[in-house]
Amino acid sequence: MPSTLLQLCCSAMETLAPKLPSLKVLNPSSSSSSPSCSTARSSSSLRAGLRRPFSLSISASAVREGDPAVGSVSLGHVTRTDFPILHQEVNGSKLVYLDNAATSQKPTAVLKALQNYYEAYNSNVHRGIHFLSSKATDAYELARKKVAAFINASESTEIVFTKNATEAINLVAYSWGLSTLKPEDEVVLTIAEHHSAIVPWQLVAQKTGAVLKFVNLDETESPDIEKLRQMLSRKTKIVVVHHVSNMLASVLPIEEIVLWAHDVGAKVLVDACQSVPHMAVNVQDLDADFLVASSHKMCGPTGMGFLYGKRELLSAMPPFLGGGEMISDVFLDHSTYAEPPSRFEAGTPAIGEAIGLGAAIDYLSGIGMQKIHEYELELAKYLYENLLSVPNIRIYGPVPSGNTNRAALCSFNVENIHPTDIATFLDQQHGVAIRSGHHCAQPLHRYLGVNASARASLYFYNTKEDVDDFVRALNDTVSFFTSFK
Amino acid sequence: MSSPSISPCLRLFSTKIIYPLLSYKTLTAPKPHTLSFSKTISFHRLPTTLSSLASPLSSASGSVPLQPIEELPPKLQEIIKLFQSVQEPKAKYEQLLFYGKKLKPLETQFKTKENKVEGCVSQVWVRAFLDADKNVFYEADSDSILTKGLAALLVNGLSGRPVEEVLWVSPDFVVLLGLQQSLTPSRNNGFLNMLRLMQKKALQLVVETEKSKNLEPRVHGGIGNMNFGLNPNVNVEENPEVILNSVSKINDSVGNVNFGLNSDVGVDKNINSGDLGSRGKRIKEKLKRELSPVELEVEDISYQHAGHTGVRGSDGETHFNVKVVSKEFEGKSLVKRHRFVYALLQEELQSGLHALSIVAKAPSEV
Repeated sequence: MPSTLLQLCCSAMETLAPKLPSLKVLNPSSSSSSPSCSTARSSSSLRAGLRRPFSLSISASAVREGDPAVGSVSLGHVTRTDFPILHQEVNGSKLVYLDNAATSQKPTAVLKALQNYYEAYNSNVHRGIHFLSSKATDAYELARKKVAAFINASESTEIVFTKNATEAINLVAYSWGLSTLKPEDEVVLTIAEHHSAIVPWQLVAQKTGAVLKFVNLDETESPDIEKLRQMLSRKTKIVVVHHVSNMLASVLPIEEIVLWAHDVGAKVLVDACQSVPHMAVNVQDLDADFLVASSHKMCGPTGMGFLYGKRELLSAMPPFLGGGEMISDVFLDHSTYAEPPSRFEAGTPAIGEAIGLGAAIDYLSGIGMQKIHEYELELAKYLYENLLSVPNIRIYGPVPSGNTNRAALCSFNVENIHPTDIATFLDQQHGVAIRSGHHCAQPLHRYLGVNASARASLYFYNTKEDVDDFVRALNDTVSFFTSFK
Repeated sequence: MSSPSISPCLRLFSTKIIYPLLSYKTLTAPKPHTLSFSKTISFHRLPTTLSSLASPLSSASGSVPLQPIEELPPKLQEIIKLFQSVQEPKAKYEQLLFYGKKLKPLETQFKTKENKVEGCVSQVWVRAFLDADKNVFYEADSDSILTKGLAALLVNGLSGRPVEEVLWVSPDFVVLLGLQQSLTPSRNNGFLNMLRLMQKKALQLVVETEKSKNLEPRVHGGIGNMNFGLNPNVNVEENPEVILNSVSKINDSVGNVNFGLNSDVGVDKNINSGDLGSRGKRIKEKLKRELSPVELEVEDISYQHAGHTGVRGSDGETHFNVKVVSKEFEGKSLVKRHRFVYALLQEELQSGLHALSIVAKAPSEV
């Protein structure tokens, strides 16, 4: 590296140290302190010398002196060490895990909590009287309280543990939907919903004669909020929407949607699978009637998810699954049922997993959802801008701008190259894990006119280096396949 | 490479038998009360214990040796050797893509639902047709060029070969290519799904041909009536329809007639055991000894199969009709009876006997 360039980099580093870990490569010996150098700066040579001139310009304006959130290294660097699974090689290359929208990795704290549960106090909950059972019950109910506090539910009885978010949505559909919906009642959804938010309602609509109505995308390639508003009427009984789209990375204004829905007497079910893990979600602020999320997308174990429902709603809902725990008295010809949440938790629950989820929440709260969100906003922009540099790429969803934020994920297609080819090559030649397919959003893909797309999704333990590695690998992949045309 | 040896009964499928003969005879399982002797029941090369097929055998797990390369169609062997000679992974991909590029594109009219390989990740279509010699030819296409490359491999490697050879191919050869192709049955496994579809289509083509040859149109679910020498290493989950269908058809099919190749061998024909060669005599002796039959008829019908590939070179005693009436069969299901007879004649089956047409009855049924 020419010395002037190094000096430029140094001066850049002085102001931008927290935001450009890539520069550490140039100056490996110093992480937090930068050697004093001249401040000579020439913008053209900066652009020539550094791969990411863009990030210099925005970070320079965005940097805050003595940023308490990150310090001199990014959140990604700091937290990576908590995730043992990330430190491995696949197919001869270092693993770069970019499939977090599908599932997240678990920190040692969660793994320990699970192990400890089974080693020290595994016992069935709510049933026993003995010491272990009591300890397990306490831990299980404490996990419930943690979830309630995490999303600011008014009481922990408003949290129903389920197997995953899909089951939670089915619970609402079969329990609330079947008993409430009448022929010609309307259920409003967007075409960008995950299959788990669409199919249960299709099933229930078939049984009840209700009608499903879908909101399309607008010109920014996010769901058309105006059209959604117009679609609402006194016939609408429930609005089922995602908070953050797992394909478009768009964020919907839930508070407003809830206001409009309540105006016409409709309930709102929020699919928060891609939001709860990444930002602070406050159900009371949102005033959502139902909200679902999965544990495994927020550093918790699989096999665990939850439904938040307002107390008065849950109290009026009939049971979903029948069995032990959800009953009060059982006779031969009928039974009476327990109060929520037990009413909806038939059978032995995934106790260890619930406790694991509690540990995950502790871990995330320890970092702070605000900090996680801010870091991910940065990553999101970095990912988007760098992906744009790939030739012939088409990224789906809204373009990030002043007031439009994207989640830290990008679904994309490269012209004339099948996403599966890209994902396969990335995995086998570069150890980069992304997803290819329809991401459980076939209606959305059909609307966009594609069969499948590739998707890279980040989480707070990813770093800008991960993005760099990914984009570099992607460029290599694209040139490999293009050379064959 | 050692021959697959999962259980002793699989010695039936020793490596020297590369082309198990096709015997397009319908399975007939007369119900215990029906006394229709005019129907022949034939088995062909079904493993004597179907449970060996029922256990999932995944060569990929390394517990079972791979199918010997010599058992694969010659062009496929060439392709494998080519890939093995290319060491660098990237170069292997280039080779794969090169194959894909050369693949003749599939006409749009053939991109139908029946020709589509199920799986959500990429779109793959496969078309199959037979030529005049009953060899199967393939055409394929995909929107993913890696999958197209794999399709091209299969198309090039399997086209122009007899159906039974195609069916004999076990998917684990792909491991030899060194492409790190997974063998896990999943919707993401375009390669595995493709091979399966190609095999299924080959089978269907043969079934259709046979159907049109049948004198009586009552064919009981084509697939179930065909017995092919299917590779026992193949995970039965991949081939359940073929094998298990055969089993269920054996068990519940009502008397079905296929006069196909055996049309002139009715039971009313007089069988003269004096015409038997050494093998025929051995068979008769064995069955007599082990089953103490009330009735026993053994007929050498090898002359009917004299032209077949697999028979060439053997001394001619390859196909027999056997009719046994013995109380050993009392209470046993048809499958069990046939297995029993097969088990008794194992040595013969390993030394050149290709097929047995068995009528096995209990005295009460006569």
